[in-house]
Amino acid sequence: MGVPFEALIPYGIIVGMFGLTGAGLTAVKWLGNEGKKARWNRDLWDRVMMERDLRITGTLRGQSGNAEAPKGFELSNPWKLEKRIY
Amino acid sequence: MAAREPQFNQQVLVDTTPMPADIPSVQEVGATSAPLTSAAYFIGDRCKAFNDDYMKCKQDANGRGEFECLKEGRKVTRCAASVIKDINTHCLKQFTAHWECLENNNHNLWECRKPEMELNKCVFDKLGLKKTIPGAPENQTPVHLRPKQIYAQFPGPQY
Repeated sequence: MGVPFEALIPYGIIVGMFGLTGAGLTAVKWLGNEGKKARWNRDLWDRVMMERDLRITGTLRGQSGNAEAPKGFELSNPWKLEKRIY
Repeated sequence: MAAREPQFNQQVLVDTTPMPADIPSVQEVGATSAPLTSAAYFIGDRCKAFNDDYMKCKQDANGRGEFECLKEGRKVTRCAASVIKDINTHCLKQFTAHWECLENNNHNLWECRKPEMELNKCVFDKLGLKKTIPGAPENQTPVHLRPKQIYAQFPGPQY
């Protein structure tokens, strides 16, 4: 006696929905990292250097091997501010 | 200048006022993190004297190193930029291959030993700069010359 096809519809929905979220998250990660593998386990040095990369190249994961910085780079250095603590 | 680093900063200030004219300017290094990681040991090889000079100046300046060591700092910047420029002139292909590999592997040097060997060979032939790891034990093979890298994703010999 065969299984009626209506019994398999929920499984199709489950697999389809999990697949949809997985594909969506993969796409977001891929686009967010500009097609490269994501950085992981970043420490403070890595985060500061990635911020510097952003100021040089203008994109989050862009890299540049030039010896000379673009014009205006030396003036884009951020100072950290905090509220005055009395 | 504040006496301590900000701890709970909520915002940053970008001050676009140029430096006063009486401070000589220097062209900043334009390489980003992956190319700098790739070229780090060659910069260390050529610029060791300048770097040590700068660190000694900062140590002796008693907290006023930002002002008193500007001259030494400019030498450090110029030397690092010269190394990057020379590598770009002579070994552009190997250099690009290595830093693109690093950028794709979380800047882990042990994942990119094959491009690194080619870059090291090219830089040593053309520029005479050699990668040495400071403080490595004398009686063992340095880690960048071992074919097998224990943390690498690929478990076999890397090259």
